[in-house]
Amino acid sequence: MTKKKIGVYVCHCGGNISDYVDIEKVKEAVKDEANVYLLKNTLFACSDSSQKEMVADIQANELDAIVVASCSPKLHVPTFRGVAQRAGMNPYNYVQVNIREQSSWAHSDNPIGATEKAILLVKAGIARASESEALTSSKIPAANVVAVIGAGVGGMRSAIALADMGTEVYLIEKEKNIGGHVASFGPLFTTDKLGSELSANLFAEVKKRANIKLFTNAEMIEKKGSIGNFDIQVKVDDEVLPLHVGAFVVNTGFDSYQPQQGEYGFGEQVNVITLPEFKKLIDNSTDKLIFNGKTIKKVAYIYCVGSRQDDEGDNKYCSRFCCTAAIHASVQVNKKFKNVTNLHFNRGIRTYGKQELLYEESSRNGDIYLQFNLDSIPEITQQGGKTFVKVKDILSAGKEVETDVDLVVLVTGMVPRKNDLLVKQLKIPVGRDNFFNEIHMKLRPVETVIDGVLIAGTCQSPKNILETMNSSMAAAAKINSVLTKGEMTLDPTLAKINPSQCTWCGKCAEACPFDAIVQTEFEGRMVAKINEANCKGCGMCTPVCPTDAIDLAGFTNAQIEGMIDALAE
Amino acid sequence: MEATKNDNIISTEERVADYDVLVVGAGIAGEESALKLADMGYKVLLIEREPSIGGKMILLSKVFPTLDCAACITTPKVSETARHPNITILTLTEAESIIKEENNLFSVTLKKHPRYVAENDCTGCQECETVCPSVVKDQFQFNLVARKAVYIPFNIANPRVALIDIENCTLCGACEQKCPSNCIDFTQKEELINIKVKSVIVATGFKLFDPISIERYGYGKYKNVITSMQMERELAPTRPFNHVLRPSDGKVPDKIAYIFCAGSRDHTVGNPICSQVCCMYSTKQAQLLMGALPMADISLYYINIRAFGKGFNEFYMQAKDMGANYVKGKIGSISEKENGNLILRYEDINTGKVTEKEHDLVVLSVGLLANPEITKVFKNEKLELDALKYIKQPDLLQSPATTSIKGVFVAGTATAPMDIPDTIMSAGAAASETSGYLNQWS
Repeated sequence: MTKKKIGVYVCHCGGNISDYVDIEKVKEAVKDEANVYLLKNTLFACSDSSQKEMVADIQANELDAIVVASCSPKLHVPTFRGVAQRAGMNPYNYVQVNIREQSSWAHSDNPIGATEKAILLVKAGIARASESEALTSSKIPAANVVAVIGAGVGGMRSAIALADMGTEVYLIEKEKNIGGHVASFGPLFTTDKLGSELSANLFAEVKKRANIKLFTNAEMIEKKGSIGNFDIQVKVDDEVLPLHVGAFVVNTGFDSYQPQQGEYGFGEQVNVITLPEFKKLIDNSTDKLIFNGKTIKKVAYIYCVGSRQDDEGDNKYCSRFCCTAAIHASVQVNKKFKNVTNLHFNRGIRTYGKQELLYEESSRNGDIYLQFNLDSIPEITQQGGKTFVKVKDILSAGKEVETDVDLVVLVTGMVPRKNDLLVKQLKIPVGRDNFFNEIHMKLRPVETVIDGVLIAGTCQSPKNILETMNSSMAAAAKINSVLTKGEMTLDPTLAKINPSQCTWCGKCAEACPFDAIVQTEFEGRMVAKINEANCKGCGMCTPVCPTDAIDLAGFTNAQIEGMIDALAE
Repeated sequence: MEATKNDNIISTEERVADYDVLVVGAGIAGEESALKLADMGYKVLLIEREPSIGGKMILLSKVFPTLDCAACITTPKVSETARHPNITILTLTEAESIIKEENNLFSVTLKKHPRYVAENDCTGCQECETVCPSVVKDQFQFNLVARKAVYIPFNIANPRVALIDIENCTLCGACEQKCPSNCIDFTQKEELINIKVKSVIVATGFKLFDPISIERYGYGKYKNVITSMQMERELAPTRPFNHVLRPSDGKVPDKIAYIFCAGSRDHTVGNPICSQVCCMYSTKQAQLLMGALPMADISLYYINIRAFGKGFNEFYMQAKDMGANYVKGKIGSISEKENGNLILRYEDINTGKVTEKEHDLVVLSVGLLANPEITKVFKNEKLELDALKYIKQPDLLQSPATTSIKGVFVAGTATAPMDIPDTIMSAGAAASETSGYLNQWS
C-alpha cells in the first residue's frame, strides 16, 4: 500500500553537506513530490535532540514513512530505524538517502551539480519510501559459544575473557604448541616480564577454565551457517570434530618479515641477522655477546626493514612495535654485557607514548642514533674481513658517516600472515595492506562486515602486546554482549520466492554466496526456498531469476522501479 | 538487588547494590565501557563532571586517518548511551568519595552540581541566551568566542539543555522571565547522592597541556599563537567563525606553522613522554587546512613523526604529497612582529643551521597529560598511580584493565596517552574485565 504521509529530513551534517549542497534548493525541489507530508532541515539529524524531534513529528502527524537525507546508510540506518521504532512506526518504513558521501563529498568541486544530484537522490528516496512495506524481524536461538582461532597470547586472552564472562570457548591452534611468537621471547618491553612466562601464565589460566576447550594441531576444515549458529568441522590430529558455535574471534597473529636475499647483505653476509634472531642471541648468551665464535662489541641496527617501503615494496605501513623492540634489545644488551656500542640507523624513532622512556634510557646509555631517508639507505660492505656500514646522516646535516661493526641487526617488521583457507572460509575482508579489515576503526574496531566474525590482535594490524591484549579482550566483550542473550534478531530484509512463478532453474542457488537457497516441493514440483537463517538480503539472487520470482524485502521491484522513475525524471 | 548474570552463585550475606557498575567519566572510553556492559545486561551508572557527555572527541573536527567527521562518528554512540535502558547518566556530577566495604561493595558518594535549569523541562530553545546580559569566554570553543552565563554547552551537547554558570550570573532574572517552559530554577542546590555499586570503571581521560608554561612560544602573549585544540574548533562543522581566521585581526592566514611536541617529550615541563596523537592530529589539520585554504603554506616543525597506527604512515605520506612542508627542527623561540606575524627561530636539522622563518599563524600541537585527581576519591584502598601519574596497571601485559584495587578497572587515556581506536579497544577490555569480575561475584 502506498505511503501517504512521508516525513522528509534533509541534514546539513554541520557543514559537511550544506557547505556544498544547497539545502534550501533541495527542500524547494522536493516539497511537491507525491506523498511528502512534512519537510524539514536539521543541523545534525543524528543528534539526540533531532532524533527526539523526529519521534515527536512522527507521532503528532501520524507519519507512515520517513526519509532522512544525510550520510551513508552504513553509519546511520540503525540510528533512524531506532527513531522509527521509538515513535511506533515500523523501522522498515524508513529510508536513508546518502547526500554526503554521494553528493557533497564526492562533488565538493561542483556545488551546483552536487545540489542537483542530491535533489534526484532525495526524490528517489521518497519514491522508495512510498512503496516501503512494514517488515517484522524474527528471532532465532543463538549459541553462546565462540571459536577462537589461534592460541597465541592474544587468542588465549580472548578465550579467558570469554570464559570469564560465561561464554563457552573452543580455542583452535594450528601448531602443536600454544603461545605463538611470544612463547619463545625473553624480556618484553616495557615491563621486562618474560614472553615465555606471559605465555605460560595464560596457558595455566586457560587450563583452569572448564569452559575452554583447547585443540592444538587443529584446523577448521569446514564452516556452514551464520551468526549465532555456525556448524564447523575441526580436524584435530587425524580426527574430525563437528562443533556448533555462535561466532568466531580470529586471532591468527602475524609473520615476521623475512628479508630478501641480499637486502642489506642478508643471506650473503653471515653477520647480518634479523631482530628476532638477535633477541634469541641476547637471551641465550651469558656474560659475553658471542656470535659465530666472535665477541660482539659493536652492533648496527638498521630500522624499518620490510616496513615503510617505497613504491617498489608492498609494505607501505609502519610496523609499530619495532622501534621500541629494537631499542629495548639494545637496552638489554647494555644491561647484560659490558662495553657494547649500539648504533641505531633509523628513519625517525617512533617510541610513542610511555615507550619514549626506553628511548631516553638508551640515549643515556650512550647509544648512537643516525637517521637516513629512503633515498639514501645504509650501505653494508665487507673489507678485509670487516663489516662496514655507511650512511648519510640526516642528524648531522647529511654528513657521510662510515663505521666498522661486528654485527648488523635488521629491525624487521610484521607482515600479514598467509591464511588463505581461513580467509576463504570466513570471508574475512582483507585491506590494502593485506591485514584483516575491521568495519570501522573507531565505531566497530573488532568486527568485520561478516556478522559473527571478529578480529583481534596482529592479524588486523601491527600491534604490541599491550595493544593485542586490549583488542583481544575488546573482541571478547563485543561478541559476548551479542551472544549472551541466547537469541539473535534476523534482519527481515530477506529474499522471498514466489513459488507459483518459480520454475527451479537453480540460477539463484548458484548466485547465492551464503548457501541460503534450497529446493523444496510446491504443488508437486520443485521450487526454490530461502533458508532465512542464512539469507543476508544481499540481493544477488533477484537479478538472475529469469521469471522474476524473487523479490527482496526492503528493496522490492516496485521500490526499485519507483526510484529509477524518480532518477530518470 | 540487581540481578547478577550468574544465578548459580548465591551470596551468603545480604548485599544490596544500586548498580552493577559505576563508570566515572563519559568521554568515549566511559561511553564504550558503559555500552558494552549495558548490552550484556548490567545496570550502569555513568557520571560526568561536565554538563554534556561526549568528552573531548565530540569537540573535534575530523579524525585521522579516515577523515570522517568526529561528530558523525561520536553522536550515534552518545545518543545510544543516552537512550540505553540499562544506563543511567548523571551530568555535572563528580564522585566525592568511594569506599570499598568488607563485603566488596563500593559505597559511593556523588556530588551533583546544580544546573539551575530543570533538565527534563528545558527544550533547548536558547531563548534564555538571547536575553542574558553576561558575556564570558566559551570554554567549549576554547575561548575563541564568547557565550552567555546561561547557555547550552554546544550544539550537539547531550543532554542538549541549558545550564547557568552561576559564577558569572548577575541574578538579573531575565532568563527566568524569557523562558517559555519555566525551567529556570535558582533554588536548585548541590546534592549529595549515596549509592552502592559492585564495581567501578575509571575513565577520567586526560588533561590538555596548557602551553602558557612554555614562555618562549609566547602563548597567551602573542595573539596569533593558538593551540591545536583551538584550530580543531576552527575546522569543526560547528566552527565559531565559519572560516579559518587568525585571532589578532581576523585575517585569513596563509603561512601557518605547527610546532610539534608542545608539552610532550619535554622534561622542562615535567612530561618526558610522547603524547601519541599530536603528530597525527597535526597532520590531519594540515590536510584539512590545505582543503580549506588551498593557497596557504603549511609548515610542520617536528622532532620525529610518529605515524605508527593502522593507515597512519600512509596518511602522513599523503599529507606530504599534498604539499605539507615537514621541517625537522625544534623551535627555540618565537617573536612577534608589529603586524602580528611571528618569527620562528629554530635549528634546521637538514642544514644544521639556525634559521628564522616568518609565519602569520602558529599552532602549538599540545600534548596530553595525566588527570590523576580521581585517586583522592578512593578513601580506604589506594588507587595507585605510575611514575607519570597515570592510573597504574599492575598487570600491564596480561590484564591491562585491572588496577591496584580489586573491582576497580580503568579504560582509555586514564592509563596513558592514546588515540581513539586504542581508546575504544581499551574500553572494550575494561568492559570485558568488569563483566568477568561481576560474573564471578559471590
